[in-house]
Amino acid sequence: MPVPCRRDCGKNAVLKRPKTGDALCKECFFWAFETEIHYTITKAQLFNKGDSVAIGASGGKDSTVLAYVLKTLNKRYNYGLNLLLLSIDEGITGYRDDSLETVKQNRDDYEMPLKILSYKDLYGWTMDEIVAQIGRKNNCTFCGVFRRQALDRGAAMLDVKCIATGHNADDIAETVLMNVLRGDIARLKRCTSISTGSEGTIPRVKPLKYTYEKEIVMYAHYKKLVYFSTECVFAPNAYRGHARALLKDMEKIRPSCIMDIIYSGETMSVKEQVSLPTQRICSRCKFVSSQEVCKACVLLEGLNKGLPKLGIGKSSKAKKMLEEYNSKQINNESELEVAVKDLNNVSDVTVDKSKGLCRNKKNTNKENDVDKCNKNNCCGGTCKSNAKNVDPAVSNKKLNMLLEQYGLEEQTTVNHPNNQDKEKVNGSHTPENSDDEEPAQNGDDEDDTCSSACGRLGSLQIGF
Amino acid sequence: MICKKCASPMAVILRKKDHYCENCFILSTNHKFRACIGKNKVLSPNENVLICLSGGVGSAVLLDLVHHGISLENNKKLRIVPHFIHLFDDNVPEVSDAILKKCQKYNFDIYFVHLSDYLNNNTQLPEVNQIVALKEDDKIKFTRLLNCMPSTAANDYLLKVKRHLFIKYAKQLNCSAIFTAETTNTLAINLLCNLAIGRGSQVQNDVGFCDVRDEKVKILRPMKDISKEELDYYVKIKKLVSITRTNVKSNSLQSAISSFVSDLQQNFQSTISTVCKTADKIGDYEEDKASGKCVICKSALFTKDMKLSALEATNISKTVSLGNMNFQQDLENNSELLNILENNSNNSMFPLINKYLCYGCSRNHSEMSKPELLQIG
Repeated sequence: MPVPCRRDCGKNAVLKRPKTGDALCKECFFWAFETEIHYTITKAQLFNKGDSVAIGASGGKDSTVLAYVLKTLNKRYNYGLNLLLLSIDEGITGYRDDSLETVKQNRDDYEMPLKILSYKDLYGWTMDEIVAQIGRKNNCTFCGVFRRQALDRGAAMLDVKCIATGHNADDIAETVLMNVLRGDIARLKRCTSISTGSEGTIPRVKPLKYTYEKEIVMYAHYKKLVYFSTECVFAPNAYRGHARALLKDMEKIRPSCIMDIIYSGETMSVKEQVSLPTQRICSRCKFVSSQEVCKACVLLEGLNKGLPKLGIGKSSKAKKMLEEYNSKQINNESELEVAVKDLNNVSDVTVDKSKGLCRNKKNTNKENDVDKCNKNNCCGGTCKSNAKNVDPAVSNKKLNMLLEQYGLEEQTTVNHPNNQDKEKVNGSHTPENSDDEEPAQNGDDEDDTCSSACGRLGSLQIGF
Repeated sequence: MICKKCASPMAVILRKKDHYCENCFILSTNHKFRACIGKNKVLSPNENVLICLSGGVGSAVLLDLVHHGISLENNKKLRIVPHFIHLFDDNVPEVSDAILKKCQKYNFDIYFVHLSDYLNNNTQLPEVNQIVALKEDDKIKFTRLLNCMPSTAANDYLLKVKRHLFIKYAKQLNCSAIFTAETTNTLAINLLCNLAIGRGSQVQNDVGFCDVRDEKVKILRPMKDISKEELDYYVKIKKLVSITRTNVKSNSLQSAISSFVSDLQQNFQSTISTVCKTADKIGDYEEDKASGKCVICKSALFTKDMKLSALEATNISKTVSLGNMNFQQDLENNSELLNILENNSNNSMFPLINKYLCYGCSRNHSEMSKPELLQIG
């Protein structure tokens, strides 16, 4: 039996809204959906007239709907915003390559300029390569941390006032649960705010904060929006999955619980005596961090040193790992010295053949191929000490090239694997600094380990 | 395998890896209980304390710990004057009998109060050790009240009913403190439940060591550092009797969270302690700023100034889902859209909120099929 629309428009309802339980027809649903987002934007004063706003676009349903709705509202209510799309290419074969096609489609459909940044360019590693190092567990940590910083970098390049992300109500409720389960009080405190970002950083806003995922799926479906709906190939092992499973079970029992969890997060306060990390600037890359060295730099350092687990788990373990690594380095260096001595004294070429080869390879890579240097790192400690032998002029050339390309401060490129030699000289003590506190609190700004990139399979059959 | 502390043969394995002998284990459990009371410094010597017994494992151990504490004759003697109470309903009558027997064994007196006493405003203290049933009227009314709401709301409401009764009888007995027997496990589950029903701002009182919502009577949770796992061993070693019954209605948020936490604990042994540590860090509200108290849960009504919260967002959702075409026209022709939306804001989603009820209780109220039974407002 058809149910009439609650708004007395004479049409039959097509869906029951999970937030309020009201049945609406298609047209009325569109209007209600958009008006609510408009209310959120105006009430929370997310944008100012004339702002340039980058929309974090993954090609998934949330960001596609966000881009579409922002475009619609911008025109309807005369926000006067200059909207751009910003995508991050994590380098995940079979997932991101396909979804970026969708983003390109969005760019054409919504007539917005699109900027794509890749992990490969920014960090020298694709997610595929990272997963090959770290394995199927913990890889979302890398992806999430890198994406957050990549978005900041992209926004700086585009010179925008803020970044709008497609986080929906389900994502936020899920994050609240996850942070409670992980005991991450700092993130728990800030994860429900609609706008995040301290002074000097580009704020993130979440216009879809109070919008249910189900409604987003319905909206995209009825509006026939093109979006990409494959789950990230690496996501199934993420810890977030537990929180998500719980939330889905709870939503079935009491759909309002998503709003209730968000309300809990909003009204909850943290005891004064609990010390929270203060946000500052990473001493290496100059992006926002809660530590001396930001999580992204620690993770990258780990990858480049062949210690991929460096930034994961307890800081004490990371410290131990680094100590072992450093002592190995010293050993290697002394070995090398002996070898060099041998070379000079006896001129016996065969003594250190393997090392010599390795060094040659390294040098060639340094000059020719930015990306292959990862492979060098894989040979771990042995060839590492040779990196010192690289002509500093060569790496400076690279540095200048990167500077031109990204137009960021010089320090930012210290991150890049190409500058290991430099890092080794002036940064050999820095990783220890970063390990004084729980790595869980290392994170910078937000906390989605996976939500914005891993477009989930949205169920379309929700109607009644 | 040997005990971690004294090298005698082990009898207890905690967290799948820590071995203890019976003696060391009982000592450490006792210590946890006493340390929890001691370090919080809320009790003065010879204070009257109302001890709430449900008949489950937790209260069986609490009873034993209290008995042990007050029977000591050295400087470690637990200096409280205990009074005991059990709230019962008609579902499982054998529980009351079992508790009565147990208390007689320890030589304690206990009061039995029926849950439906909640509807009764001025009740005299019942006779000790007597299980007296209340008026049938009240019972029927109380059952109807619980049955007119979904299981999630009913579970939550029942907790508030019990809290009210404990405080009421504590006052009658001149007690300034109440002991309840929630374990780490229960509190971890309660924290998540609190979040799930919009009671995030009440976590400190609902899950922390001390509930200070009542000016005269504090509710203390001295077993908060003891896990269910430890209780089971304690009961086994001391050969205590307990009646386990789930008083949580199934197909509710509480039951879903409870099974989720237990499952996760199996794979991640630190889940429960992590959740409880999080709970310890949440709290501190400026109570004096509160405009009043919720008539059901007695929590401060939330007045923190927020531009926009899930409460307003839900109300606006309701408004736009109900507004007819004229309303839409009005909105689109008017630039003062915010004002129109807010002036027309539909409050039916949250009845009586911030006047009589807090967010969580108001949500429960909105789900009741016969809200008039509550007689509020």
